[in-house]
Amino acid sequence: MINMLEATKILVARLSDDDLVVGGLGNPKFNLFQAKDRPRNLYLWNAMGMASSVGLGLAMARPENRVVVLQGDGSLLMNLGSLATEAWRAPRNLIHICWDNRMYELTGKQPTASAGTADLARIAEGAGFEKVARAETLPAFEASLERALAEDGPWFIHALVDDQRAAREYPPKSPTFIKHRFMSDLGAEI
Amino acid sequence: MAWPETIIRVLKSYRIEFINYLPDAMGERLLKLAREDSDFDLLPLAREEEGVGTVCGQMLGGRRGVLLMPTSGLGNSLNAIASLAIPYKIPLPMIIGFRGGLGEFNGSQVMMGQAMPDIFRAMRIPYFILKREDEVETVTEGFLRLTFSNEGPAALLISTQLAGWKE
Repeated sequence: MINMLEATKILVARLSDDDLVVGGLGNPKFNLFQAKDRPRNLYLWNAMGMASSVGLGLAMARPENRVVVLQGDGSLLMNLGSLATEAWRAPRNLIHICWDNRMYELTGKQPTASAGTADLARIAEGAGFEKVARAETLPAFEASLERALAEDGPWFIHALVDDQRAAREYPPKSPTFIKHRFMSDLGAEI
Repeated sequence: MAWPETIIRVLKSYRIEFINYLPDAMGERLLKLAREDSDFDLLPLAREEEGVGTVCGQMLGGRRGVLLMPTSGLGNSLNAIASLAIPYKIPLPMIIGFRGGLGEFNGSQVMMGQAMPDIFRAMRIPYFILKREDEVETVTEGFLRLTFSNEGPAALLISTQLAGWKE
């Protein structure tokens, strides 16, 4: 089984300063912050299900930047339609990683549908993702990541992770601080 | 110039590139023009809430999008508006075909349409209703100007007085 924090550390160590990372609500965001806080981390507070959609919008707006989405299984299940939208649009610079612990860990470990019958990697394939990787161990995750960083996407990486809760070290809480830091680093103005 | 052409022209003048949409009959009047115009890039959505995320992503990346959707789509979008566009202060221009009002034939549309202005007021979202051809340019321009200065959601509603109702 993969540990989300260890895998997130491996991921951010492989990224360049130019790459954009969307940290979906819950443990994905906390672990992203703990792995490495960087201006181009976009931490989402509460926007349930939105990590994949925000990542798609960023990938469309910034084709010159790689965009990595980190999203838990609960969040993805809330916005499954976004997989169809992403796959159809098919931005080459998008890597969508689903950390699947098969539960709503933060709210009391209630099971998600992926603890039951839902196979999120097969759903991504069915949505039209041509590049789908499955990883149940850290070496397998690293190998999937190598390929995803080397080949055009969009990629969907389904990583089975353990049920460890992220330490309570929180990323910046001010949404406007997160936004301004992110956009300033990009030199983006709207 | 008819209202769809006017709205499209004003969107271009505000450097809107991405039209994130769920279609309805009113929206199609705009989509038809946008498809034939290389200045626009259309993103079809499966659910309107996704469009809140994609527009916010586009804006954070420094490029401008709009969310085009029917009235029922507002109901599908509310938590994303409340937890993303509003607290992060991201401009979110929404163009909405107003259903559930004057001339509505489908009773299932009425609740959402009648509640929509109150929802906007409760969430402090500025909204403007297009009713007459001669005000389309001014109202559309003012709507976009406000959306970007306020850095948040705002809505432009296309009424049945302007666009006609569905038979």
